[in-house]
Amino acid sequence: MKWLFVVFIFLESDKNLTGLSLCSLLFQTPYFWPTQQWPVEDTDYAIYLAKRNIRKKGILELHEQEQYNHLHKWMNHKWDFIVMQAKEQYRAAKERKKPDRVVFDCQERAYWVVHRPPPGTVSAMDYGLDRRTDPNADETQTPDCYERIMIFTQQSIMRPRVKSSVSIGALVKYCATYSGHDPFLSKCLPSNPWLTDDSTFWTLNMHNVEIPTKMRVERWTFSFKELLSDPRGRDDFRLFLKKEFSGENLAFWEGCEDLKWGTAVTMREKAEQIYKTFLARGAPRWINIDGKTMEITVKGLKHPHRYVLDAAQTHIYMLMKKDSYGRYLKSPVFKETLKKAICPEEHKFNEVQLEQNARNRRPSLSPIVIRQQEQEQRAKMAANAPVDITQLCRFTTPVPHLAVYSGIPDPPSVTASPSFPFLAHTPVCPSPISVALDSTSASERRLETSEGEGNMEARAPDGGNLSKSRMALSLRRLLKRGCSPSAMFASLSPKCHTAATASSRIQPIMPDEPSHAPPRRIGNFFHIKVDIPPECRIYPIESEDEDEENRPASRDRVGTEEIICPWESLSRQNGTGMSQWEETPGKTQNLLERQYFRSTLGAS
Amino acid sequence: MSRWRRSVDELTAGRQRYQKECERAQNALSRVTSCFQQLVASLGSSADSSYLREEIDETRALAHRICSGLSHRLLRLLSACDSAPIAVEDRQASERLWVLFLSVVENFLCELQKAKDLIGQFPLTQRSNRCSLVNTGCTDGLVGLAARVALVQVPWLVLEEEPSPNLTDHIAGLESLLSELQQRVPVAFWSVEATQPAWAEVLSDPDDPDDSLEDIMEVEVVSNSRSRNNMSACCPGKCCRLSCVG
Repeated sequence: MKWLFVVFIFLESDKNLTGLSLCSLLFQTPYFWPTQQWPVEDTDYAIYLAKRNIRKKGILELHEQEQYNHLHKWMNHKWDFIVMQAKEQYRAAKERKKPDRVVFDCQERAYWVVHRPPPGTVSAMDYGLDRRTDPNADETQTPDCYERIMIFTQQSIMRPRVKSSVSIGALVKYCATYSGHDPFLSKCLPSNPWLTDDSTFWTLNMHNVEIPTKMRVERWTFSFKELLSDPRGRDDFRLFLKKEFSGENLAFWEGCEDLKWGTAVTMREKAEQIYKTFLARGAPRWINIDGKTMEITVKGLKHPHRYVLDAAQTHIYMLMKKDSYGRYLKSPVFKETLKKAICPEEHKFNEVQLEQNARNRRPSLSPIVIRQQEQEQRAKMAANAPVDITQLCRFTTPVPHLAVYSGIPDPPSVTASPSFPFLAHTPVCPSPISVALDSTSASERRLETSEGEGNMEARAPDGGNLSKSRMALSLRRLLKRGCSPSAMFASLSPKCHTAATASSRIQPIMPDEPSHAPPRRIGNFFHIKVDIPPECRIYPIESEDEDEENRPASRDRVGTEEIICPWESLSRQNGTGMSQWEETPGKTQNLLERQYFRSTLGAS
Repeated sequence: MSRWRRSVDELTAGRQRYQKECERAQNALSRVTSCFQQLVASLGSSADSSYLREEIDETRALAHRICSGLSHRLLRLLSACDSAPIAVEDRQASERLWVLFLSVVENFLCELQKAKDLIGQFPLTQRSNRCSLVNTGCTDGLVGLAARVALVQVPWLVLEEEPSPNLTDHIAGLESLLSELQQRVPVAFWSVEATQPAWAEVLSDPDDPDDSLEDIMEVEVVSNSRSRNNMSACCPGKCCRLSCVG
């Protein structure tokens, strides 16, 4: 800001000032330029205030008076000098011609308005942080500099690219979608509060409003992100999930967000809490993520940090997005909300009303109050948190010998085929998870059992490595459904026919046969082993392999007592062998692509 | 005893005369520095000219003379304070004068540095340089100031004639003077009190009030009022509006 415009609007009839013509643009004298970056001394300000005091005979503005008193107190030792200098400057200024004097006084006033802004105004001298380096300065050509250039260019080469047509297409699509919702581009119903000073729009669109507006509900249909980011939308979605008994996904996602954005102090406890609630075996709100992700997460939780749950959170997010979101949009909950949504009429204010609105402006609820309300609500919700998985399974009876289910079943007829999971869930006693999944995919299951064909349905995973193997597909579905493999494999593999038909129930393996237990560290989620302590009331799909050695210990500890987090227990987690299903260690997987599927299974 | 008494009285009287002289010099210095400030404020503007630069130099030279003379005298005054028995009020007066002098010198030093920067940014060595001067609407109205400076009378003006230094040397000299003075005389700044209370200067100046100026210089703080109203086109009444933009 090299200069300040000082625009004078004079009346010609003012005889004293005919020197200055009408509406001439004048610039500030360089003496007052901020770019000079001379220090702005309080002494000068005191002199200026004293001068102004003399001129205005004691009638200064409030903030000036305060400053004056403050400076008088702190500069008392040189106050005589200040007053004397003020008087001298005042008299010296009088020696000038009147127009010049006016100009100079205005400029001086502008200078002090900038450097000592009145309270409540934005300081014109505010600017952001200084950069560490000056981008305009010449960079010395050191080897370090060249190295940085090299790294930069290498990374530029490696960067993924998108055709401009594609990216522009995305922009166009975005604009087309959102143009009706942009208050700059289209009308804001009922009226834009910034223009008409009527805050109905904001009250109608508050976070926890009962009945949302139609525009808002329409925005939820644009993308899952929109739905989740709108608190009202999230509430609606939560309600829907509650009805479907898969609310733990959203709760987990929210817990992860809380962890990510929370304070560092609370991080460790939050991570533990989330693990205990969502991830551990026997957790009250267990979420369904694949083995690899679970492994990564648990390993990371030993040294928890802000992003330790990121993989799991992404997994769950994609699950919700691909699965629940679509169902939500077709659900009665959403349809109900859409029907009830209001479309307010447009305001048509005349001038008088506009002025009245301007006069009646009131400050809105303080953000502190709003945050407190939100926290209270959250606490209330947490207190009433549903336990998504009920205790209905008849395997709750403490029968020790039924406790363990190995992933590798004994019957030899099955050994030829890939081991498939025997799950605790059967159609006889379905867990709510399977109920939830079944209820919506019953038709599909019927379809597939009848045809037995590996047809990809619409909800095929978005992974890239989908082979058309029927086995693979059904195993994926299997995991999602939690239904008995029997019906599935009956149609698929004649070899397991006998076993399949016979195993409409869970095949229990005696706990005293640990030799058949698979090696410990198996990340393959198809190799499912369920370890159910007798008192435990939940039978989650367990993809992790806490092995037998752990079992006796855990059986004593886990159950009615606290779930032990893996980093707290003394278990030795390192496995020796690997099953044929496990990935080569060290190979990083793109979880999103392989979330439900292992290509190695196609081999069998 | 009486002789001693008389000598003490003479000393005190002499001292007080001395003090009055210094005070007058201090006032003169204030006047000169304020004129100097007005002159420097016009540097780089359309009122800038070689005449202005000359005036600035002369004013500076005058200030230099007063400064150096005053600094010597004040030093003598204050060092004499330590040796001879002096009344408390006298000592306080001297200390106040000392503090005021230092303040003036500091202020003047700031102005000198600003002047140096501005002269460096707007050299007037060639005629083409005049194009770079900023139009502030000020015409040449500095004759009055020059006259005011010329009217300043200093007691020792005729006695001591030193060659006045150029700008850079002047600044350096003043800086060293300041640091030297602060080191040599241990005067506690906070012990000095102002002679007049706050807001007293309002009543002091019975000059013509310049009411019309005030209407013109009313600055509307844009954030408080709606900016729409400020930009309204023509003001029908006799009042004039001033809005700061930018």
